[in-house]
Amino acid sequence: MFLLQMGFANMLRRPFRAALTACGVALGIGAFVALVGFADAFEEQWRQFYRTKGTDMCVFRGSFMNKASTDESAGAKLRGIPVVADAAPVSFDLVDFTPDVSAVVQGWVDTSFEFESLTLVQGRRFQGDEPAVLLGEILAGSLGKKAGDWVEVQGAPMLIAGVFRAPDTFSASSAVLPLHQLQRLSDLGAKVAGFHVRLRPSSPGVSPEDRLRRAKLAIESQLPGLKAMPAGVVAGDNHIVNFIRSTAWATSLIALFIAVLGVANTMAMSVFERTREIGILRALGWSGPRIVRLILLEASVLGFAGGLLGLAAGRFGLWALASIRATAGLPRVYPSMVHFGEAMCIALAISLAAGFLPAYRGAMFPPTTALRYE
Amino acid sequence: MSEYLLETRDLAKSYDGGRIQALRGVDLQVASGEFVAIRGPSGSGKSTLLHLLGGLDTPSRGEVFYRGRSLSQHPSLNAYRSRCVGFVFQAFHLLPALTALQNVQVPMCGGNRTRRQRLEKAETLLREVGLEERFQQYPNELSAGERQRVAIARSLANEPEILLADEPTGNLDTDSAATILDLLGGLHSGRSMTLLVVTHDPEVAARAQRQVNFRNGSICA
Repeated sequence: MFLLQMGFANMLRRPFRAALTACGVALGIGAFVALVGFADAFEEQWRQFYRTKGTDMCVFRGSFMNKASTDESAGAKLRGIPVVADAAPVSFDLVDFTPDVSAVVQGWVDTSFEFESLTLVQGRRFQGDEPAVLLGEILAGSLGKKAGDWVEVQGAPMLIAGVFRAPDTFSASSAVLPLHQLQRLSDLGAKVAGFHVRLRPSSPGVSPEDRLRRAKLAIESQLPGLKAMPAGVVAGDNHIVNFIRSTAWATSLIALFIAVLGVANTMAMSVFERTREIGILRALGWSGPRIVRLILLEASVLGFAGGLLGLAAGRFGLWALASIRATAGLPRVYPSMVHFGEAMCIALAISLAAGFLPAYRGAMFPPTTALRYE
Repeated sequence: MSEYLLETRDLAKSYDGGRIQALRGVDLQVASGEFVAIRGPSGSGKSTLLHLLGGLDTPSRGEVFYRGRSLSQHPSLNAYRSRCVGFVFQAFHLLPALTALQNVQVPMCGGNRTRRQRLEKAETLLREVGLEERFQQYPNELSAGERQRVAIARSLANEPEILLADEPTGNLDTDSAATILDLLGGLHSGRSMTLLVVTHDPEVAARAQRQVNFRNGSICA
């Protein structure tokens, strides 16, 4: 307790420097909270994208990111497999609606079960292969369009049949086009990206994992060359999520490294300035390890303060991103307590790591040398 | 068991690869309860001797014995510095970020006392040195004499047997110096503490039971 008191007292001698160092830590932690939180939220949105549609599995050839990897005709065989309740062919493309607004356009058949997850807030669903499009609420807002207006998709005018509300941000920021319209506009032929599959309810006593494993085996044996992956796996382990996650971590690590240098510099300066005081402590019987503890405690206090500031800054940054119109389509992020815990642990860890060398050097000063220090 | 509380045998300390000889084979014995003044010109090795006696430095040759046991074989020099000796420096060496009350508690940190006991002990010691009104003052808010009184209170925190003082009145005016001398005298007579005081001041030396004069790193009389 007394050590903590001393640690605080020492830091308050240079409040401006301590505040700047804490801000450095806050920068690193803020970047971590915002970026890694964003990556997690992105993955969660993707899961939600499947969950709210009731999609259990994705079936595709090669990669589900390939918009034309699978023959649409496989759908009939797929629906004939006993474990499969329904299979909806899907494709997608990235479309420039205006020079400023691009969005993912999904291609669905008008009987797709995926419509169940959408709530029409304006207009109606499209019928058959009519040249009409449904806009997600966020996209409609960005384009300033409503049901009954027209919009150009890949150079073709399309009626906006309706505007829908979706439980996930991906869908709300996208558009849905009849599948055959999308295949025609994007030159996909009779190919689709894959199928979203609903499974029949499992027999009592079969675990969800077993149900998915059995379905995977059944589908892959009936349709050689196609892959059947649980939707949760596709959401959590795909190129986009992995890329976003690794980019988030890499950027956060750079910011955290800068924070380490800041704390190390502050602690080195602090120990250098207090060489004589450390000599006094040694003369009064303080052991080297206790002096190390004192200096590390000071570093931890800085890290803790910086961590709290960083959490607030990161949270504010995410809120700001979600509030700005240009980025409103990005997933909304609500960092969890686990995430906050991780951030605080990182803040403390980087402070301790940064403070260790200065602390060790300080503790190793011979007392007489330190006492003579001016 | 040795009859001396502190003893040095052939104690030598050199610096810079032996080119500077600060102490040259000093033999000194100090009995328990003795008040010894160590005198000599600047650079004669007085402070070096005090540092070696206090376990702040290690000798180049010879040994320091505390109660007949060599400091080089002492299980913990930190414990020796904390519990057996107290230091008073010419420049006070208080920690500027801490109040007088906190400064006095510093040597007790890590000991067996509870927080309450540490606080009570520090308050008692500050009252003993006449600073009952100055508990919460920081060193820069105290006069030089008051700072030295805090330093004396701090040196007594763990009730050491020996007090090592290096020019304790060197930075003080006459009145403050007299106060400090009275305090040191009181410690010797009242608590039967063993005092070794390095000083240039004849008045301080006059209060001691024995004077040891240094010249060129050796005892000369």
